[in-house]
Parts: sequence; C-alpha cells; structure tokens
Amino acid sequence: MEKRTFSGHREWMTALSLFLSAAAFAEPASDPRIGTIKTSRPEAVVLHQGAEQPAQVGSRIYRGDTIVTRSDGAVGISFMDGAVLSLGPDSRFTVDDFLFKPANREVSFLSTLAKGTATFISGAIGRISPESVKFKTPTATLALRGTKILVEVK
Amino acid sequence: MQRILMIAFCGLLVTGCSGTRVVLVPDPDGKVGQVSVATQAGEAVLHKSGETTRASASDSKPANPEVWSQDQIQDVFAAALANEPLPPQRHRIHFATGTADLPAEAGPVLQAIKQAVEQRKSCDISVIGHSDRAGDDAWNRDLSLKRADAVARALKLAGIADACMDIRYYGEHDPVVPTADGVSEPRNRRVEVEIR
Repeated sequence: MEKRTFSGHREWMTALSLFLSAAAFAEPASDPRIGTIKTSRPEAVVLHQGAEQPAQVGSRIYRGDTIVTRSDGAVGISFMDGAVLSLGPDSRFTVDDFLFKPANREVSFLSTLAKGTATFISGAIGRISPESVKFKTPTATLALRGTKILVEVK
Repeated sequence: MQRILMIAFCGLLVTGCSGTRVVLVPDPDGKVGQVSVATQAGEAVLHKSGETTRASASDSKPANPEVWSQDQIQDVFAAALANEPLPPQRHRIHFATGTADLPAEAGPVLQAIKQAVEQRKSCDISVIGHSDRAGDDAWNRDLSLKRADAVARALKLAGIADACMDIRYYGEHDPVVPTADGVSEPRNRRVEVEIR
C-alpha cells in the first residue's frame, strides 16, 4: 500500500499548477511498471533494456520495452491505464512512450507495431486526452479516439 | 548475380511491404469510437463498426474505407483475438457525505471484487478514491484518500494482498457527474476499484 497517487482534474490542474509547486502532486516513482502480461503463448519474448526475457504471465512491462512473438506465439497485456493489447504471431511491438500522470495532464501512449497483428483497446489515457494515443506502423500513423482497433502490418 | 539478388529482394518487397491494415471494431462496452489512419499523402478516418482501410505505402493515400465481415476479420486476426486478456472490470462503492465509513451496501461489492480477483488470479488492482465538491479542495483530497484506504483495508481483510493494490486518490477532480464547486453529489462520492 506504499503507492499513493493524487490526480486532479485537468482544467483545474492547469490553473492550479500555476500557483502550486509540482511537488504537491508528485506521482509515485516506486513502480515504473506500465503494464502486465496477462496471456502468453510460446514463443514470445520481451526485450527490456537490451536483455531478452520470456514473456510469461505476470511479467511486468516497462516504457521502452519491445514484445516479440514467433510463429505460434501470442501475448496479451493490460496497461496501467486500463488499455488492453493482444499480439498475434510473428509480431513486433514497442512501447515508445507511456506517461500516465493525469494530475499534471501528462498523458501519452505512443507505440509502434513493426510487423504482425494486434488488437488494442484504449484506456484512461485515451479518455483523458484522445489525441495522446498513437500507433505507428512502417507506413502509417494511427490516432485513436476511445476505441478498439485491429491492426495488421506485413 | 547481383541483378538476380536485386530481383529476388524486390519480389520480397512486394509481398513484404503490403502495408498496414486497420479495422475499427466495437469496444467491450459495445461502443464504436474513431481511428484516423494517416500517411504522408493523406488520411482515412474510420468511424463505423467493421470499417477498414489499408495504407500500402507511406507516400500513398490510405485506401477508401470498406466494411469487413466477421469472417474477413477472423481470417486475419483470429490468433490475436483468441488471446486477448479479459477487459478490466470496474466496481464502485459510494459513500455518505463527509465520511470514509464503508456503507453497509459495500459488502456485496467487496464480495464481487474478491471473486473477480480470484477468477482472474489478478495481482493488478487499482483502488481510486474520489469526493464530491462539497467542502474545500485539500479536505476532499484527504477524504478521497481515506475512502480509498478504507476500501483497501476491507479488501485486505477479505484476503487480497497489499502488494497487489495500487492506491490512488483524485479528490474532487474526476467526477462522474461534473458540478459547480460546493455542490454535494452522491454519485461522485465513491471509490472505484479496477481489476486488471
């Protein structure tokens, strides 16, 4: 119960942040996890700071991680803002940026699907700031507005 | 030899670069949002269930949207769809004005939360405290934390590990029903529990 976060309403925060120090609204730095693996089918791995780990149910996902599935692999991830991602076989997905500090209206969810298939349901970040949820692929940029999408890159 | 390699490589490119397919589908609540698919040459916007487009190259416009059938969707996305995690489950407990005392009605909600946690074997739970706008802001912030703590304590007594709970508090600043300052609104005096 060590993690406690105060998060405020955006308009109010914008006004108030002019007057108050950022420290009053500090977010927890204790757990930089941004998501958790909920489903996994081999073979699937997480590339975290250059190291390759098997993608196991319960594994934590951090900003900057890349998830790779091989020919029969699949991985499902729940993110801290309630977003849900599922990757099909032969896929490569990277979380380029994930910022979830609603108190300062600092929210962002940028990711890249380099290849493969994915399903994605946006979460609180998309609700607070729809323009902040973006998916990149080799040919296009996808901007989501509170929704579920299916993406294939080949 | 080099030329043959080039031809082989380009052959690969044609199949390997056939681009990005995007399909818009309803979210778990049945809502259909919107997605824009943009390349350097233009944009396609999907806003109907099953609508799809393809961006074959970054310097050409995405195709005009068409609607895909369930079969077409399954042909491409069956594996990803079959392995989706359950969507997060959310529960609310409402509080009397000015207090962080768990109401009697909380019992069944706590039971439902515990059941969902066990079913999902989840160790990934947010407990988020809120207040309405009666009372001053600092007090409401404190009250919303006390409410979240009260729910977390009850969940701990029910057997849910501390380490699995992420406690947050928003004070009066994330209302279900927006109101003017000073207004008492029962629907906003709540704790939300999200089980992922």
